[in-house]
Amino acid sequence: MPSLFVIRGNDQGTRFELDGPAVGLGRDCSNRVQLHDTEVSRQHAEIRRIDPNTHAIADLGSSNGTYVNGRRVQQHRLTSGDQIQVGSTLMLYTSPTEEPAEDVAEKVKIASPRAADDQSHIIHSVTQQEGSRLFDLQAGALESPWLARAQANLQVIYRTALAVSHTLDIDQLLHRIMDLIFESLEADRGCIVLVDPDTKKPLPKVRRTRKGVRSDEKITISKTILDYVLEKNEGVLTTDAQEDQRWSPAASILQLGIREAICVPMQGRYDVVGVIYIDTSSSPQEIIQKGGVAKFSEDHLKLMIAIAHQAALAVEDTRNYSAMVQAERLAAIGQTIATVSHHIKNILQGIRGGSYLIEMGLKDHEESLVRKGWGIVDKNQGKISSLVMDMLTFSKEREPDLSPAELNRVVGDVVELMQSRAAEEKVTLQWHPAEPMPTLVFDPEGLHRAVLNVVTNAIDAAGEGPQPGQVTVRTHYAPGEGTVRVVVEDTGPGIPAEQMETLFSPFVSTKKSRGTGLGLPVTQKILKEHGGQVLVESAAGQGSRFVLELPAVIPGSGPQTLVR
Amino acid sequence: MIKRSVLIVDRSEETREVLKTALERRGVRTFAAREARRGLELARQHHPDLIVLDLEVEQSPPTEVCGPFAEQSEADRTPLVVLGSCRRSLFGQLRGEFVAKPYHFGPLIRRIEELLEATGRPRARSA
Repeated sequence: MPSLFVIRGNDQGTRFELDGPAVGLGRDCSNRVQLHDTEVSRQHAEIRRIDPNTHAIADLGSSNGTYVNGRRVQQHRLTSGDQIQVGSTLMLYTSPTEEPAEDVAEKVKIASPRAADDQSHIIHSVTQQEGSRLFDLQAGALESPWLARAQANLQVIYRTALAVSHTLDIDQLLHRIMDLIFESLEADRGCIVLVDPDTKKPLPKVRRTRKGVRSDEKITISKTILDYVLEKNEGVLTTDAQEDQRWSPAASILQLGIREAICVPMQGRYDVVGVIYIDTSSSPQEIIQKGGVAKFSEDHLKLMIAIAHQAALAVEDTRNYSAMVQAERLAAIGQTIATVSHHIKNILQGIRGGSYLIEMGLKDHEESLVRKGWGIVDKNQGKISSLVMDMLTFSKEREPDLSPAELNRVVGDVVELMQSRAAEEKVTLQWHPAEPMPTLVFDPEGLHRAVLNVVTNAIDAAGEGPQPGQVTVRTHYAPGEGTVRVVVEDTGPGIPAEQMETLFSPFVSTKKSRGTGLGLPVTQKILKEHGGQVLVESAAGQGSRFVLELPAVIPGSGPQTLVR
Repeated sequence: MIKRSVLIVDRSEETREVLKTALERRGVRTFAAREARRGLELARQHHPDLIVLDLEVEQSPPTEVCGPFAEQSEADRTPLVVLGSCRRSLFGQLRGEFVAKPYHFGPLIRRIEELLEATGRPRARSA
């Protein structure tokens, strides 16, 4: 809605909405726009509506007249942004430029190169880097000192914006800001103090001294000034020279020199995140030479406020980003710990159960109970050791421990080890080693683990159905391809398509309390370490086939370190 | 004297085995199931004097797992012992006696015996 906003006068800050066909303006209370200004007539002027968003002002024969943009008017059609002065009250007229909502996509067209209605061609191009020289001082500009300074300031601000957009490291960022300040202002010393977001205590972060200035000297910022800047959110320019020359015997200035300082708040989007402080000293000699002209001006102060604002925005962004990353990391750690604890708890429960039976058997001198209890304890001991091994394998980047070994023996060991578990699940475990199989270079322990995990899964899967299941393990050597494979097939229920995606994600188990969710990720990791891969073929109701494929490296045939 | 009976519903074969062995040595008849559905069937068929239910028997929320068993034990006016790793406060809304996992078997067995004692005379309901 169009409105009048009082920007100067007794009613400063009041907004009057112009929502009728004619709105009266004057000192009398009958006016919709009533102004408490003795220089305004009782019925001073009227604002008439021409159409919903256009108004005109008409003077009603006031004593002191009506002015629009400084010119006296009788009648005037208003445009948004016009300043209306009546008496000593200055008002701003604003009217929304209400354009009918339109679909931008319809009005903007990305034309294909051959489109007939795109006749434009490139006549000049500027790289992104070159854009940063936009505000480079040009020779002509130097003729006007004001223009030169304005351009220099713009350049500093532009470079600040560039500097802060290129880093997510707060310390690095603050150093860059300091570099810029020292390049553009005649500062001797400077420091940036950030307010700790938790304790609210100011912490000095970056300190800089100009070359040739004693750098061991402590920068002392008065607490009064620091508090003033932080609380009032105002930049200050200070000098230790007495302003009033009557009280300052020139002699003391000549003895000690003058120290000027600028201290500005780092106002971010939400808060003041810190302050930037710079100072400069003029020696007695300089004061005599230059006639005591101050080095820092209000312009410098304004420039510093602008720089500090840019820096503060970047500090806030960086902090928000780190907080987010930290939160995600904590969530992931929490998830992992929860899953691992769950497995350990189940294992512990098993051990307690076994121990309880042993205790009972010892008390009653019943060996069968002790035996039963021991079986449970022993099994859980195996579970915890396998959990720990899997976690270790998964937890770090490691090089496979390569040595010449017999693949058939490694896989055969796994098959032998798993026969008892297969029998428990009423699963037949068959083993078909490839012959001949040369001695190959691989990590025997790693591969043992990789094959063990896949065979364990296969037995569990094959044991699920009501019919006796079957698991077949084979090795296959393909000298032509330079690869060797371990193939594990089962007659289980197969893997549904929706589980295929998370098959190798750590801690995702479909075996409920039996699986740790680490088996397949570990197998995959070990195979990748060898420069190999795990292939899976499975469909619901069809059983599964896992192929562990790795390069067949013959001992002494070449470099024995694998490229991952 | 008619044997008291306990139904054990737990996914872990080891836990079922340990509880069965320990209770049977104390002259308690046991039924065991590794799934909630089978457990409920046994409960409705045999009306055991006490039900031990591990909440992790299914992946559903604890209240859902517990609900039908709570109804059954209420109808039979028999105690329900619930084993679970959820927080006790969360369990407040469920019926039954809560035992947090991991638990020790000695105290659990003693508690089951106490509850069996407290329920009074065994009812001749077993099939």
